[in-house]
Amino acid sequence: MDLKELYGDNPGFDISDKVAQPYDPNLAETLYDPKKPMANRITDIGPPFYEQFFPPVIKNNYGKWKSHEIIEPGIIKYVSETGDTCFVVRCGTPRIITTDLIREFCDIADKYCEGCVRWTTRNNVEFMTDSEDKLRALVDDIKGRKHPGGSYKLPIGGTGACVTNIVHTQGWIHCHTPATDSSGVVKAVMDDLFEYFESMTLPAQVRIALACCLNMCGAVHCSDIAILGVHRKPPFIEDDRIMGVCEIPLAVAACPLGAIRPVTIEQDGKKIKTVRVKNERCMFCGNCYTMCPAMPLADEEGDGIGLLVGGKISNRISAPKFSKFVVPFLPNEPPRWPSTVKTIRKILETYAEGARKYERLGDWAERIGWERFFEKCEIPFTDKSIDDYRLAYDTYHTSTLFKWSVHTDNL
Amino acid sequence: MAIDKEELKQKIIEFATKKAKHKSKMYIKDLYKAAPDASPRQVKNAANELVREGKLEFFSSGSTTMYGVPGFGKSEKDQFGELEEE
Amino acid sequence: MADVKKHDTPMCDDLKKGPWPSFVDDIEQKGLKGKQDCLDLLGQLELSYVHKETHWKHGGIVGVFGYGGGVIGRYSDVPDKFPTIAHFHTMRVNQPASKFYSSAYLRKVCDMWDHRGSGMTNFHGSTGDMILLGTTTDQLEPVFYDLTHQMSVDLGGSGSNLRTPACCIGKARCEWSCLDTQQICYDLTQTYQDELHRPAFPYKFKFKVSGCPNDCVAAIARSCCSIIGTWRDDIRIDQEAVKAYMGGEIKPNGGAFSGRDWGPFDIQKEVIDLCPSECMWMDGDELKIDNRECTRCMHCINVMPEALRPGTDTGATILCGAKAPILDGAQMSTLAIPFIRMEAPYDEFKDFVDKIWDWWMELGKNRERFGELIQRKSLQEFLRIADLKPIPQMVKEPRSNPYVFWQESEVEGGWERDIKAFRARHAA
Repeated sequence: MDLKELYGDNPGFDISDKVAQPYDPNLAETLYDPKKPMANRITDIGPPFYEQFFPPVIKNNYGKWKSHEIIEPGIIKYVSETGDTCFVVRCGTPRIITTDLIREFCDIADKYCEGCVRWTTRNNVEFMTDSEDKLRALVDDIKGRKHPGGSYKLPIGGTGACVTNIVHTQGWIHCHTPATDSSGVVKAVMDDLFEYFESMTLPAQVRIALACCLNMCGAVHCSDIAILGVHRKPPFIEDDRIMGVCEIPLAVAACPLGAIRPVTIEQDGKKIKTVRVKNERCMFCGNCYTMCPAMPLADEEGDGIGLLVGGKISNRISAPKFSKFVVPFLPNEPPRWPSTVKTIRKILETYAEGARKYERLGDWAERIGWERFFEKCEIPFTDKSIDDYRLAYDTYHTSTLFKWSVHTDNL
Repeated sequence: MAIDKEELKQKIIEFATKKAKHKSKMYIKDLYKAAPDASPRQVKNAANELVREGKLEFFSSGSTTMYGVPGFGKSEKDQFGELEEE
Repeated sequence: MADVKKHDTPMCDDLKKGPWPSFVDDIEQKGLKGKQDCLDLLGQLELSYVHKETHWKHGGIVGVFGYGGGVIGRYSDVPDKFPTIAHFHTMRVNQPASKFYSSAYLRKVCDMWDHRGSGMTNFHGSTGDMILLGTTTDQLEPVFYDLTHQMSVDLGGSGSNLRTPACCIGKARCEWSCLDTQQICYDLTQTYQDELHRPAFPYKFKFKVSGCPNDCVAAIARSCCSIIGTWRDDIRIDQEAVKAYMGGEIKPNGGAFSGRDWGPFDIQKEVIDLCPSECMWMDGDELKIDNRECTRCMHCINVMPEALRPGTDTGATILCGAKAPILDGAQMSTLAIPFIRMEAPYDEFKDFVDKIWDWWMELGKNRERFGELIQRKSLQEFLRIADLKPIPQMVKEPRSNPYVFWQESEVEGGWERDIKAFRARHAA
C-alpha cells in the first residue's frame, strides 16, 4: 500500500517545512497556557515518518540490497541489485553526548553524507556515502577529530569479529539507584580494549553491556560479557524524616518481596510511624528508595560490580542464551576500575586464544565446560555462582559427566 | 457491557478519593475495584479522561505509573523543595 | 561567553586520557562555552567518584499534562553545591525508526535543548528513545510544545505504558531483512499512541522488530512481543558464488574475520559441519540444502552472503514474554506464532495483540510483566486466550511431569458421575 495514503495525515509525515524554519525560542510561551492546559496542545502524533530521513542511496535501494563487505574495520560496503553502492563508516560514541557534539556530527553529515546520519542499537553512529572518493575524504576528516585530552571523537570500528561499543545505562551521572557508574566504567574498559574495537581478530563478535544495578534497565542479561552494578546492603531507614517525605503504605507496597512492614516506634517520647526491612529478604532492587527518599540504598563498601558471561541474542548456530554470573563482586574503583578492567581482559583474551572460528564466548565455555572456564580464566568459583532462584534446579549438574580441574585436584 | 462513562468516572473518583486518605497513589488494577462490572479497558479510558479533567493525576516511579488524587499525599515540593528564583 | 565556574575534578579529568571518546572532555567543553549545568554535572560526578555513591534522587513527575509517561523526575541530593542541576529531569523523545536523522532536524532539536535544557543527551536510551537529560519542571510543557509544534515529534513511553517500539535497520540497508521493520515499528507506534502515553497495563510492555534471526535489536531478549523476520521457502543459492568462496575469491562472512589468519576458507568445516540441523552437503561442486530440515539460524547465510540469501516467502515469527531479571529471573521470549504475514495494516497481528492485552489487563498483577503472567497462568492458558494451536515447535521437549490439568470439557462424559452406578459395580 502507498505509504502516503497510509500515513500521510500525520503531521510528522513530512516535516521538511518545519525543519526549514529556524527554532523559535518564544513560540511555546505564546501557545501554552497553564490555566488552559488543553489549549493549542498537540498530542499522540508519534515520531516523524522515518523515510524522510533516508539518504537518497538508502531510499532508492530499499529492499534491494544484495550483499555487503567489511572492507576494513568499521567501513562496510553495501551493494544493491540496482548496481548502487553505499559505504558506511561506523564510529563509537560514549552515548552521553552534548548538543555541541551532535552538531559536529551534523557538520560531517552535511559535508559528506547529504545531511544524513544514523545511530545503531549499540550507540555507534554511522555516516553513509555513495562514492568511494567521498568515503576517503570522510574517513580522513573523522580520523582527525579529537577531544582536547587526545581521545578520538569518532573512533572507527565496531564491525565483524570485534568488541563493538558497549551498551550501557546511566550510572552515577544520572540514576538514583545505581550500584556503580556507567560512563566511567565504559570509558575505562573501552580504553583498555580499544585494539579490539578497531580490529577483527576475535573468534566471533563479543558484545559487552553494562547495567548499573540489578534491575537492568539496560537489559544486559544476554551479553557475551555483562558488567552489572551490585548492591549488597539493604536500605537505610531515616526514622526522623520518613513521615515528612514518604507515605508509609507506598513504601511498604514498593517492595516486590514484601520485606518492608510498617511499624510505630517511640523516639524522644514521641510516637513515630516508620518502617522496618526484613534484611534477609532484601534483594537490593532500590524500589523502596524510588518511592521513598528516606530509604537510600547507596553504599561505598556495599556497592560494586559483578560480571556475567556467555550470553547471546543471535540464533546463529546455537539458540540465544542468558549470561552466567561468574564474578560475584568487584569493588568500585573510580575513575579507572582496574580490577574490573583486568578481569574482563583476562576473560576476553582466554576466549580469543581458545575458541574456534565463529564460536561465541558462551558456546566456547560450554564446549570446554564451565569448570574449565573458571580454571582457564583464573576466576575463583564461589557459591554465589550457584543459582537459588526459580528454575535453579535446571542449572544443577545431574550426571557424572564432569571434567577434572583445579577445583577437584586437591580433593 | 454498556456502561455509562460519566457514571463510571463518578464511581472511580469516589473510590479513589476514599482510598487516597490512606494511600494516595494507586495502580490501575486498584481502580478496577471501583467498578467491577466495567472492563479493564473501560476503567483505564475513564481514569485517563479524569486525568485530562484534572480530577486525577499521574505519579511515576519510572518503571510504573500510578494514579493519585490531587491534594493527597506528598507533593514533589514536600519531597524536593522548590527551585529558588534566579 | 557567560561566566561559568569549573569545579575541581581530578578523577573525571583522568577520563580525558586514552583513545575511547571522552565524555568528560565533551561535557566540559560544552560547560566552558557557557553551560554551567555541564560543569555542575561533572562536579557532582566527581563527588560520586569520591564517595562511590550516587547523588541523585527520584521524583514522581510523569510528564506533561494528560500523559502518564515520557518524563523521569530527577533531583540532586547536593543542590547547594551544584545549583544548576538541582532539578534535572529526563525527557524521552520518540526516535525515528532505525534512528536515521537529517542534520536539519537534529540541529533544531539541539537548539531547542540548549535553550530549554542542559544541552546533555543520551543518543539513545536502552529502549531506543532520544533522551534529553536535564531540565526543570517549568520547562517540561514548553519543551513538549516545541517538540510537537516545531518538530512534529512526540514523547516516548515510560511507566506502565507501552514503551517506544524499536527496530533494526531492516530493508533500508540489510540484504537479510525479511520484514519492513521500519514500517512495522512506525505503524505500531502510531496505532498504539494512547497506550504509549497513558498507562493501560499492570507494567511496561515492549515491541521490538528484527528483520531476521540474527536479531540485531535483541527483540528475543528484551521485548514482551518480539517480531522476528523469517522465511518459509528455500534459501536462494548462487552456485557460482559458492565456488568463488571455496576458491578464496570472496572473503567469508563479508570480511568480518579478516583481522586474523584463520587459514584458507573450508566450506566443510566452517559451514556444513557447523550447521546445527546438519541439512547441508556438497554434491560434487554444488552446495545442497535440505530446506525442510533447516532451522534458519543464519550461519551459512552470514558466512557466504554473496552465495546464499533468505527465501522470498517472508513473514514474521512472533515470540512473547522476554524481560530483564527483576523480579525472579530473566526470561527470553517464547514461540507463539511460527509464521505470520506482516503487511500493512497488520490486522491479523493487531488482533493477536488485542487478545493478549485484554488477558494481561484483566489478570496481570500490579508490576507483573507479560512474560511472568504466561509463567504464572501457563503457556497452555496463553495459547487458549490467543486462539493459538499448540504445536511441538513451542517446546524444547515435551513435559516429563505427567500431572496434566485436564479440563472437564476434554474428558468423555464430563466429571459429573453417578455414585450409585459406581457402587453397583464396586462394594463400598
